[in-house]
Order: sequence, then structure tokens, then C-alpha cells
Amino acid sequence: MSNRITTSMVQRNVLADLNAVSAKLTKSQTKASSGKEIARPSDDPFGTTQAMSLRQTLAANRQYQRNVQDGQGWTDETESALSDITANIGRARDLIVQGGNDATDQTSRNAIATELGQIIEAIKQATSQSYRGSYVFSGTATSTRPYEQGADDSYHGDDGGLDPAIPGIVRELGPGVTLTLNSVGKDILGEGQSAGDDKVLDVLRDAIDHLQAGDGASLRGTDLTRLDANVDHVLEVRAANGAKASRLEAASSRLQQTEEATIGQLSTVEDADMAKTLIDLNSQTAAYQAALRAGANIVQSSLMDFLR
Amino acid sequence: MPISSFYGLQTSLRGLLAQQRLLDTTGHNIANASTQGYSRQEAALVASPALEIPSGGIAGGAGAHLGSGVDVQAFRRIRDQFIDLQYRGQNTNLGDWNARSAGLQQAETALAEPGENGINQQLSEFWDAWADLANANGSDDVVAAKQAVVEKGAALADAFKTVRDQIGTVKATSYAQYADLARPASAGDAGGEVAQIAKDIAGLNDTIKRFITTGDVPNDLLDRRDQLLDQLSEYGQISVDGQSDGTINVSFVDTATAGTTYPVVTGAASVWAGPPAGDAWSPGGRLGALLELSKPGGTLDGYLTSLDTVATNLVTSVNAALGSTFFDAGAGPAAATFDVAAGVLANPQSIDPGSGASGSRDLALAVSRLRDSAPVDGAYRAFVAQVGSNTREATRQEANAQVLTDAVENRRQSVSGVSLDEEMSNLVRFQRSYQASARAMSTLDEMLDVLINRTGKVGL
Repeated sequence: MSNRITTSMVQRNVLADLNAVSAKLTKSQTKASSGKEIARPSDDPFGTTQAMSLRQTLAANRQYQRNVQDGQGWTDETESALSDITANIGRARDLIVQGGNDATDQTSRNAIATELGQIIEAIKQATSQSYRGSYVFSGTATSTRPYEQGADDSYHGDDGGLDPAIPGIVRELGPGVTLTLNSVGKDILGEGQSAGDDKVLDVLRDAIDHLQAGDGASLRGTDLTRLDANVDHVLEVRAANGAKASRLEAASSRLQQTEEATIGQLSTVEDADMAKTLIDLNSQTAAYQAALRAGANIVQSSLMDFLR
Repeated sequence: MPISSFYGLQTSLRGLLAQQRLLDTTGHNIANASTQGYSRQEAALVASPALEIPSGGIAGGAGAHLGSGVDVQAFRRIRDQFIDLQYRGQNTNLGDWNARSAGLQQAETALAEPGENGINQQLSEFWDAWADLANANGSDDVVAAKQAVVEKGAALADAFKTVRDQIGTVKATSYAQYADLARPASAGDAGGEVAQIAKDIAGLNDTIKRFITTGDVPNDLLDRRDQLLDQLSEYGQISVDGQSDGTINVSFVDTATAGTTYPVVTGAASVWAGPPAGDAWSPGGRLGALLELSKPGGTLDGYLTSLDTVATNLVTSVNAALGSTFFDAGAGPAAATFDVAAGVLANPQSIDPGSGASGSRDLALAVSRLRDSAPVDGAYRAFVAQVGSNTREATRQEANAQVLTDAVENRRQSVSGVSLDEEMSNLVRFQRSYQASARAMSTLDEMLDVLINRTGKVGL
């Protein structure tokens, strides 16, 4: 320290100290009022990038949750349609068993055939299930009804989701994690007699023919066996859909947990530690007042006060 | 040899006059206690030439010197030229970091990070819009989602444009400040700050020279010239070359190329001709910092380039993922000119979110998966971190330079500053000396009164 302390030095030092304390005080006040540790990147460049990264993670997480919700809607609609189809196939099976019984006369067989025709329409109607305007059984051709009512049994959708080469209806559940949601109508119902694919429509149309022809043996034999195979297949599809639903459910709860964790991390990086900030604020206020008082005392007195 | 009876009167008179000068100087110091750049003065006293008494004048026969009082030898200013040099060096540094941190803080503010209004948030909303399009079911949803994608894309382009414009403005303002400070004087234009200081120094040089050549020291003019040098040192590193006639030659020194100087004042002439062609110099100080910030390839230019790179990466990766043109890069700096392509803007429904049938969304999904990718979000974060650490560094250096400059200024004030306590005690001391000299004169007067008026009057 210098030997000679001049008046202007004292004033300059007091002023510089006051400025320094006041700058700290302002910073603490900003922290306390905004609740943010980082107001601008230079406050903590590394923390800033971390916070930005976490914000992006959080936004992505919320998006994934929206994806999952949407997927859950889709699988719910699929499940309700499949349960409808299962019920209809069960009713059809009962009718075929009844029609296959040789005690049933031709008039009754004709009546049963008419009812089977109605069941086919009901099954086709069930595949027209849509989720928010998208047909869930049409592959990726979601704006096309998969089956038309009437005699035309051909499938109008595409193979998206069935054929691995064509992506189906896909939702992203996490970074790089995707789930194909849709079940393809063609896989369940087939394309009728012209295709001869042993699927539901083919079997039921055959059964109608056999009923009308009074061919009880075929009804009791092959028709029933082929229909049972289809019942199994529909159950498989339902099970697969159920597995997708539970995977979505699991993803949803995992994403919620991750969201909370990310919010916590973001808060750690970005938010001010209130207890510490308030303690800082109080001690700095005290320091500021002390500096003011000391400065006022030093600057006031001089030799002039003591000379006559 | 007889000595005049009035000899002592003269001695006392000298004392009185000298004490008066001391009191005058003290008064001058007190009056200038708050004057910027003032250095305290003192009257240097010296015993006046003694009366020589020849041999035999005193007992023992030897000669002698009889003191004759005091004379004022000079009025000196108390100043340490070496502290001035240190102060100017630190002040150059302070000017440098001060300008730098001010410019960088403006650029940093333009980013508006971290927060809800920065590019980071816009990017996030843009990716959300694509993910929503990838989820959209049914034609109404799809129409709305495509519209949203285009709107978010346009908002993102606007955000880039705004940030780039603001950083560009900071760059342009910095250069304008630099050019204005360094502008040489011309006919009808007094020039910038440097030219005006140069003119004032040259004028003072002229006046000072006339006094110095007659042996006079114009303390207050020297103070003013030193203060002008202090001001000039803020703008760049200066070298001061004192001449025997009391004038000084001042020039800026290149901090990068040793030995290169740019003359500002030579003798009584202001020779500041402005910066060299193409601004090919590094003067340090405020000028150097402003130039470093704003020149092509400088700090702010680097920021603009980084932002352009992020924008280019965004355009390229979105278009590549979508397999068609969504963003149009535009002609010129990418961040300022890229936008949603005109065709897409006019007809948002032309966006094809999937490569297959109406429900296929693989392309929209691919775009949404660009979220948080290294070339876009990552590069932008790295850019923000760079701006943040540069600003932090500049702010810290500025605070350091301020502390060092204050310390040197304190040392200078310790030497040259006016201490009112000291002046008050001097005032008392000099007043007492004056009173004592007056008393000595009264004593001599009384002695002479006895000699003149009473001697020889016997028995009256």
C-alpha cells in the first residue's frame, strides 16, 4: 500500500468498492427474482449447452408421449374391431355346425346361408374401423376402405406393415425406437373365393355355397376345420395387437419417468438455488450497507474538522 | 565591514514573500483537488545567496557568510513519469477488453439463449411439427399438420434471420465506431476522437515549447498534455518520444508487427492520417478491439459463419430426409436467406410425408428424427457455447484490466494527488512561518525605533 493516501484515492476506492458490492447485489437480485441461475450464456457456457440439450430432450420426450398416446388410440380401435370379428366368426361357426347337421332341411340351410351372408357383411363392416379418419386395417392406404360391402371381396388397402419391404403405420417411442402399429386386413380376412386363400371370407363364401348345395359333409368336415384355423389366426393377431398395446403402456410410463428426471436435471442446471441465493442476497445487502456507512464516515471527516 | 542596520528587514521580507508563495501554491493545490489529471505542485525554497563578510569582518579575523533569508527556486509538479507509462499500458488493455466485452455482450443478447424465444426453442417446435405430421391420422389432421410444418419452418427461418441480422448490426456498429474514432481531420471536419486529441496535443506542444525555451516550466499545461495522452492510450498502444524543446512526438504502435508505428503528433503538428489502407494494423486498445470484432474474418464474422453453417446443415439435412425441397437455401448467407421453398409456402399440401400410400409417413418421421442431430442442434449449441465463453472471457478480462488500471491510478494518485489533510497541515505550517517572519520584522522595527527615536535623548 502506498505511503501517501490522498483524498481522491479514498473516494475512488470507496466508490470502486461500492460499485463492486452493488454489482454482486444486482446479480443476486436478478437470480432471486427470475429464479434462474443462468440468465445468459456467459453466466455458464457449459451449463447453457447442457440446459439447451436438456430442453431438446424434454421436447423430444413429450413428443414421444404424444406418439404413444396416438398409438394407444390406434391399438384400441384395432382391438375393438378384432373382438367384433372374433364374435362374428364364432356365430358363423355355430351356424355352420348347425347347417352341417343332416337333420337340417334345405329351407333352413338356405336361411342359414342368408344369415352367413349378413355375417360376412358385418365382418367387412368391422374392418372399416377407423381411428381419427384413418382406416386401421388398410395398411398405409389409410384413406381407403379395406373392403367394400357386397359381393366384391377384394382387399383395397396395401401390404404396408405386413410386407417388411413396405413400412406400415409406424410410431417412434424413443430415439431410434419405432413400433409398427397396424394389423393388415388382407392378412385376417383374405380376398375371398377368387383368391382361394383359405382365409375367413373364402371359407365363409364356400360354406354358403355348400349350404345352398346341401353338402353337409363338406360343412361338417373341411369348412369347419378351415374356419377353426382362421379363428386361431385372428386370436394370434389379437395377441400381437395386445402385445403392442402393452409395449405402448410400458413406453408411456417409462417416458413419464424420464420426463420427470429430465425436468429435475434441467432445474438443477438452470434454476437458482433459492436458499443459497437468498442467503447471498442478505449478506450482500449487509455488506453494501456497511460499505455505505464506512464510506460516509471516511469521506466526511478531515483535518478541517479539528482545526479551528 | 559594517553591515547595514536594515539588513535584517530585507531577510524578513524575503521570508514573508516566500511563505506567501507557499500559501499560494497550497491554495492552488486545494482549488485543484478535484481537477482531473492535476498533479500537486510545491514551491521549492532555497536559502538566498548569503552576504559575504570579507576577512577580518568577524572575531578571529576570518571571513564569513551571513544568511540573507530565502528564495523561491521553482514551482514543481510532483509526478512520476514511469507510473504514467504503466497507467497508459493498462489503460490500453482496459480499452481493448471494454470494447470487446460490450460488443460480445450485445451479440450474446441477440441469441436470447437459454430461453423460450431462442433458435433452440424454434428448432424444437419445428421438429415437433414434423413428428405431429408423422402421427397425423385422417385428411383433416394431415392438412392441419402440413400447415403447421410450413408455419414452424417459416418461423424458424425468421428466427435465424433475426439473430443473424442482430449480430450483423453489432458488427456494423463496431466498425462504424472504429471508423469514427480513427477518422483523420480533413477540410471542414475536425476528424474523430483521435484526430481531435492529436490536434490538442499539437497545440499544447506549441505553447509548451515557447515556455520551455525561455526556461519556464508550464506545470498546468504539462498536466493537460499528460491527461490527453491518457485519453489517447485508451484507443491504442502509444509511444511517446520527448524532445529537448519540451515537445513530444506521439505515435500508435503496432502490437503485432514490432517496430511499426503510425505517427499521431510530431512536434507542433498533428500528423494523424487515419488507419493504414485496408485497416491492416493492430493498434490494440479500443481501436484494435473494435477492428478485431468487426473485420472480415474477425470474431463477429466468425459467429455469422457459424450460424450460416448451422442454417446450411438444417436446409441440407431436412431436404435430404424429406427427399424433396422443403427449405430453399436462397442466394447469399444461408442464415439470412434460407426460407421455406416458395412452392411449399404457396401450397403446404404439396408436402409428401411418406413414400408409400396416403397413410405412409416415413419421410416425415425421418425429418422429425433429425431432432438433436449433431450438424444442426449440436452445431448450434456449440456455437452458443462459443459465444458464451468468449463473452465470459472478455467480461473477466475487462474486470481484471479495471482492477489493474485502478491500482496504477491509485499509485499515481498516491504520488501526484492532492491530500486535503496534507494541504491543511501545510496551511497551518506556512501561516505560522508567515506570522514568525512578520514578528521578526516587527522586532527589527522596534530595534530601529529605539535607535532612531530614543537614542541620544538624555535627561528629557
